[in-house]
Amino acid sequence: MKNGWCIAMALVCGLTTPGWATTGDPDGWKNTQPEAAENLLIRGATLWTSGPEGRLEATDIWISNGVIRAIGKDLAVPDDAQVIDGEGKHVTPGLIDAHSHSALIGGTNEATNIVTAEVRIGDVVNSESVQIYRQLAGGVTTINLLHGSANSIGGQNAVIKLRWGAGPDGLMFEGAPQGVKFALGENPKQSNWGDDEKRFPQTRQGVEQSIRQSFLAAQDYRRRWQEYEAAVAAAAATKGRRRGAKPASTVVPPRRDLQLEAVVEILDGSRWIHAHSYRADEILMLLRLAETFGIRVASFQHVLEGYKVADELAAHGAGASTFSDWWAFKYEVVDAIPYNGAIMWDRDVLVSFNSDSSELARRLNLEAAKAVRYGGVPQEEALKFVTLNPAKQLGIDRWVGSLEVGKHADLALWNGHPLSTYSLCEKTWVDGRLYFDRQADLISRQALAEERQALMDEVRSLEESDDEAAEGDSEDGADGEPAEEVGTDGPPPQASYLRWQDSHDAYCWSAEDGEAVHAGHQHSSSQHGRRGERR
Amino acid sequence: MKRGPMMQRKVRLCLLSLCWLVALGAFPVMAGAETLAWVGGTVHPVSSEAIDGATVVVEDGKITAVGRGVAVPAGATVIDTAGKHLYPGFIHPASTLGLVEINSVRGTIDSHEIADVNAALRAEVAFNADSVLLPPAMAGGVLTTHVVPRGGVFAGTSAVMALRGWNWQEMTLTTPVGMHLNYPQLLPSEGEVSEEEEEEEREKALRLINDTLDAAEVYRQARDAVALGAPTIAFDADAEALLPVLDGTLPLFIWATEKSQIEGALDWVAERQLENIVLVTGADAQYVAERLAEEDVPVILAGVLSLPDRRWEPYDSSYVAASRLHAAGVQFCISDSRRGGGAANARNLPFHAAMAAAFGLPRDVALRSVTLSVAEILGVEDRLGSIEVGKDATLMLTNGDPLEILSRVERVWIGGREVDLSADHQRRLYDKYQHRPRPEKAVAKPGAR
Repeated sequence: MKNGWCIAMALVCGLTTPGWATTGDPDGWKNTQPEAAENLLIRGATLWTSGPEGRLEATDIWISNGVIRAIGKDLAVPDDAQVIDGEGKHVTPGLIDAHSHSALIGGTNEATNIVTAEVRIGDVVNSESVQIYRQLAGGVTTINLLHGSANSIGGQNAVIKLRWGAGPDGLMFEGAPQGVKFALGENPKQSNWGDDEKRFPQTRQGVEQSIRQSFLAAQDYRRRWQEYEAAVAAAAATKGRRRGAKPASTVVPPRRDLQLEAVVEILDGSRWIHAHSYRADEILMLLRLAETFGIRVASFQHVLEGYKVADELAAHGAGASTFSDWWAFKYEVVDAIPYNGAIMWDRDVLVSFNSDSSELARRLNLEAAKAVRYGGVPQEEALKFVTLNPAKQLGIDRWVGSLEVGKHADLALWNGHPLSTYSLCEKTWVDGRLYFDRQADLISRQALAEERQALMDEVRSLEESDDEAAEGDSEDGADGEPAEEVGTDGPPPQASYLRWQDSHDAYCWSAEDGEAVHAGHQHSSSQHGRRGERR
Repeated sequence: MKRGPMMQRKVRLCLLSLCWLVALGAFPVMAGAETLAWVGGTVHPVSSEAIDGATVVVEDGKITAVGRGVAVPAGATVIDTAGKHLYPGFIHPASTLGLVEINSVRGTIDSHEIADVNAALRAEVAFNADSVLLPPAMAGGVLTTHVVPRGGVFAGTSAVMALRGWNWQEMTLTTPVGMHLNYPQLLPSEGEVSEEEEEEEREKALRLINDTLDAAEVYRQARDAVALGAPTIAFDADAEALLPVLDGTLPLFIWATEKSQIEGALDWVAERQLENIVLVTGADAQYVAERLAEEDVPVILAGVLSLPDRRWEPYDSSYVAASRLHAAGVQFCISDSRRGGGAANARNLPFHAAMAAAFGLPRDVALRSVTLSVAEILGVEDRLGSIEVGKDATLMLTNGDPLEILSRVERVWIGGREVDLSADHQRRLYDKYQHRPRPEKAVAKPGAR
């Protein structure tokens, strides 16, 4: 949580004064990876397994070296095992967000071409994003980082675990199938971009053709490579048998095309499609287009009219990762209803609820509760909307998504019913490591506040001496208020103020505030918003 | 004169169709049509402890009796509420419901006027009585809203509206409720504009605010002079609208979210000696809580369900703001969006209060913060916010705690009239597609792994 601020301060201080170390531990900002408990037992909690065992009352769960070792009553564990009294508490699998743009260093949208399958979100993962920690505090352990929605075939995704403190490579979910973002409707056809930006396509018909053309080009590309490989093989086979045969080295390979290579992977089924979509027509279009090429769409994202084509989605085997209740933020979502999840679930579609928002991601359990409120999905099935079902949609359910022996010890401990608005998350483990502990968080606050204060005092004293040297050039000071007025619970000088940094691709137009927000393409909405408000 | 059979049939038809229309809820505001009694359930007055097995009687759309053992008047329509819970409807403290339909479609937006000074604007006149956003809000128990204009520096005046009625005029419960001022941001925002330009703009905005109020004061003097025989002056609608603010008879709702902005606004209020203000703000209010309490500033705390504004802040800083205000003794209520634009999902208002409760706000205070406390801050506590004798019968019947997502709002009444919750756009689509014939058998999944 304190990383960015302290890094910035440490850099400032470290470069300018030799005495900075007196203000704290120079390595203090580095989060050390929490130890994986050798043996940890949560005794007597209510376990929401999201697995075949359903909900288990007053049951123990034993985790050992990063995996779930046993689940049952009165488990006998080694004497040195750490034991947490789970009486009155609830344990769920770590929550999974199938649609996130949270931990990215910008670059969410390569918004130029209609097909950008070659770009990789994995290249812009921001392991220091505080959103990682904030989402751990909401019980989230795995998120699917997706490219934006400006392209019919967008960039490649990255499924990460929220191993707060690890570098970008350390976050990657080992073994997760590779995926790619598709997008249909208003965003790829640039409906809300203003009049000065026109690029093919401008219609849903054009979106369909852009995907079809890309698939056809990829088929052709694959064929050329196959022909080349066949020619090489043939040359190798004839070598030595016939003098004067063309040596393999003279067969010219096709030029490598990274974009088409990725699309070939889509056609081969090794790169999973996660398709941003809203309207029933476009959902049906992509189902049929994919079937023409013999492939399956792994998940439709948002899919707010999925309820209209639920049977078609189920028959195809596509997952649906939707919002619980967002609607009316743009024209293509006027028919979005909060019963979407329930209807699709009722018709055997694999349903998840996602966030597409760093804020919403912190309370996915309450999003799941909306499937109970609207349409009466049973509570345990509703919780699966944010646990097992997104795991299946991302192809990682053999490791995570439910409390089952042998699965990763990714779990969240709640102080009450996990679907209750009055409950909060107390602890979150990833791979058996305790990455969030509310108690520890509360305890650390005072120390963090003091450290921040000390660093700020240091910077201020430097600035004052600089100012003296610069003789009255104090107008440009970094802070507008005297140091003594900044209490430990007050905000710091403006340097650390964060701006709107979510990139919701569904939110081309923000559902909350009528403010135009386009991922990687932000307008300050002159006709609706007042400039000067934070974006 | 004797009626012929034809005439009788016509009358019967008329009566029949009248019944039909009533049944359809086609007469939204016809308060006083009948006497109602809710009998048997738990009544949550909000203003006092819950009462089990209580009766609530409503006549002419107003509550006439509340309590255990209250006699049901003869001829009253009895609503059996056994096992259910009766609450006052939620009041949205600051929304653009009715002013905005679809955020991305410019033609459907009537919340932001273009000028800096829009003081003369009246939000209620643009309120779309048939907005499709209203029924889902009512289905979520939000039965009245404070509808606010949002554009410019002085945005205009607001009104409290019932979400149901034939037209805006009928739906307007109180107007004007307040004048709305977007206080300038005092800190530089990152981005394309330079700090100097921003500083300039900030000063310009402050100057504009002061000049506008000064001009209104001068206008008043000139107008008073006219009464004493001075030459006539041109009518200035904006100045006229601002005079009650200067008199302290109309509250000035100051929108300021960031700490220095709040402090700047409070300093400015003191400087101008304004007596009647309400602060519409966000989580930063917790950093100014003592001062807000000391200066008796009522607060609309918006956006409990928000990210912390700064990277270093505790993850729960937006969640705990309400309990900090409560602890400091600030008069506050809870809203959803900091910029007042959260129209489509106004139904989620109670869940902002619930999150505050999860993080320390007492549950009864949380419930109050989206009902009675809102009414008090908006000055409509004589009509709304609690189940008490003399107030409007604007109520919801639930199967549990309405701050729980797992509970459901089952029936709602506005001014003693039930609203048919099954008739809205979302419910119609639900019913339609729920009943779509199912396929005979599953088709083989193509390309299935």
